[in-house]
Amino acid sequence: MDVDLELEDSDNEETITAQSVLAKLEEAWMNEKFSPEILPHRTEIVDCMLEQIHQMEENLNKLKKSDFRVVIHRMELDRIRYIITSYLRSRLEKIELYTSHILEMESKRPVEERYLSPAEYKFAQEHQSHLENHFETVVLRHMPYNIRTLDKATMSVAPNLFSQVFLRANKTVNGVIVETGVEGAEEEVELDGNSQHIIQYKAIAELVKSGSVQLI
Amino acid sequence: MPLLRSYTPHYFSIDDIMATQERLPCKFEVDVLRLGEYCRNQAKIIMSNTTALKVAKKSFLDPSSDDEDIKTGTTLELPYWLARALCNRNRSIVSVNIPRIYKEAYREILKAEASVVDLHRLCVYFYEFGSYLSGFNHRDSTEIGNLLVQCFKDRFRLIMDWAQNSSGDTSGSGRGAGSDPTARLDNLERGLLITGRSSWEALEAWLSQGGGRPIGPANMVVNHQKRQLANASVS
Amino acid sequence: MMDPAEVEFIAEKQMVEIVPNFNFDRVYLISGEIGPFRAGLPVKVPIWMAINLRQRQKCRILVPDWMDVEKLEQAKEDESASRYFTKMPSEHYMAEAQLILSACGEDVPRADEIRTALKDLWDMRMSKLRSSVDTFIKTGGTHARLDHLTLMEMNSVRPLLPHALDQLHRLSTVRFVFSPLVNSSSCFDMHISILYYCFWC
Repeated sequence: MDVDLELEDSDNEETITAQSVLAKLEEAWMNEKFSPEILPHRTEIVDCMLEQIHQMEENLNKLKKSDFRVVIHRMELDRIRYIITSYLRSRLEKIELYTSHILEMESKRPVEERYLSPAEYKFAQEHQSHLENHFETVVLRHMPYNIRTLDKATMSVAPNLFSQVFLRANKTVNGVIVETGVEGAEEEVELDGNSQHIIQYKAIAELVKSGSVQLI
Repeated sequence: MPLLRSYTPHYFSIDDIMATQERLPCKFEVDVLRLGEYCRNQAKIIMSNTTALKVAKKSFLDPSSDDEDIKTGTTLELPYWLARALCNRNRSIVSVNIPRIYKEAYREILKAEASVVDLHRLCVYFYEFGSYLSGFNHRDSTEIGNLLVQCFKDRFRLIMDWAQNSSGDTSGSGRGAGSDPTARLDNLERGLLITGRSSWEALEAWLSQGGGRPIGPANMVVNHQKRQLANASVS
Repeated sequence: MMDPAEVEFIAEKQMVEIVPNFNFDRVYLISGEIGPFRAGLPVKVPIWMAINLRQRQKCRILVPDWMDVEKLEQAKEDESASRYFTKMPSEHYMAEAQLILSACGEDVPRADEIRTALKDLWDMRMSKLRSSVDTFIKTGGTHARLDHLTLMEMNSVRPLLPHALDQLHRLSTVRFVFSPLVNSSSCFDMHISILYYCFWC
């Protein structure tokens, strides 16, 4: 029943434990929940955990039903499954809300640096074309000739990057610029290690993606 | 729990559409010809009852006038979206005036006692419309912008108190039974109150029921199950 | 956004000591090793597991040190004396207390007094939070530091506080008619083109 993984991280050949992958999954889940925009996908973590769950279930099937560990392990699996589905659901929600905008941003990024996983990208494209067909058949067909086109630029819904979020700084970060919105004025803020703040998302977006801060 | 976004206007936002429908007084700087002609043709196409034909004889934008044209100097109340299209960098067919509720007199009242004013009665979309108004290059624009910010800050305490009032009793401000103070809120404030109150009620429920309750199913899952059920019963 | 049940979900990962009435070797969870279990000897397990074992009558939960009436009274005094938020004995003090007391309240001596002390502490901090939030909004609210605030307390002002701040930011950013509106419901030029179209048809 040893669930210690020996995953080779292609970057630095450390062995990563299932425990640390789970911790990363939880961080990704929280970040995705509270971030207004869609974040880079962590499919490798999700796939790894799904594999873990699968292995654990196979092991559990070999145990006797009366073994007290069965209940405990199943509870843990349910918990992990919940985090995974909640994470994926947050992402899907954002893809559905901001389809046009996300696809536009993705087209500007090289394929390896895409924020959407291949499956999500396909979903986004299909969703976009469904929406366009729907508008076409229900509305646009019946409109006068010169306003029959969809102007994607004005119609794309973008997330509000100035939304306020709560965060915890994982390490000290200096020089965070916050736009106060009054005549374009700016404020500089320091985030000490382990401190908690409420701040506009735009100022710390890069820090979230790099792991320097955690949204809570 | 689903993504809960704060209100941000976008193309499909109904609140934004409604807010830009609010009217403001505009003075025509030039003659605008033939809108009466247009009206008669258009009325026949769009509407098909006798009332419409009566309206068709009058000017499209100015129902009270019998002229075919709109003369320079005429003041009409136009919706914001039209006023903005007619008064911008490219065109100055009209010049806009600020509605009286954003003028000096009302501004002074709001600065003094923002929390008792009935914003809903003044204008349902007070903040949104005001925000759009302050975008016109009018001498009062900055004042209006500042007013909105100040008003919001002054009234926020009210919203927070009402949202976190666990007994749900909203007549606590002593205005007598039956009067609902939340009816005095503008649309934006009301949105905040509703979301604030529902999250507070969830917290109160949790505090009183104790720990260990299961997390409810997501809306997406519930809707999916409902759809499956509906499909199964149809087929 | 998060509802209280989800905050509790996170709090359930915290460790608590139990005294099992059975023997078992180490259990290798995905989230780490637990055990071994020796009847009568305390062992640390996550709260979610502790509650499950207690429900199945397999253990006794040991109330954490900080969940003690005198210590909580002291915490209340410290909180009252300080202008800012003091550090709580646990990052999830309210959620942990709710969970543990619900699961085994009858085993805990002076459970009601503990509950009362906790509620007083919670109310004190929430009241402080309310006035801080009000001051924060009144002074312009661009950024604030919230050390020692627990997740459940932070969640109590969600989404009201972040949304109100968002609106304040939006209202402070004046839209000039001479610059193109990006996020706007109606396409103004489209309305004009409808009018033009109708003129010429």
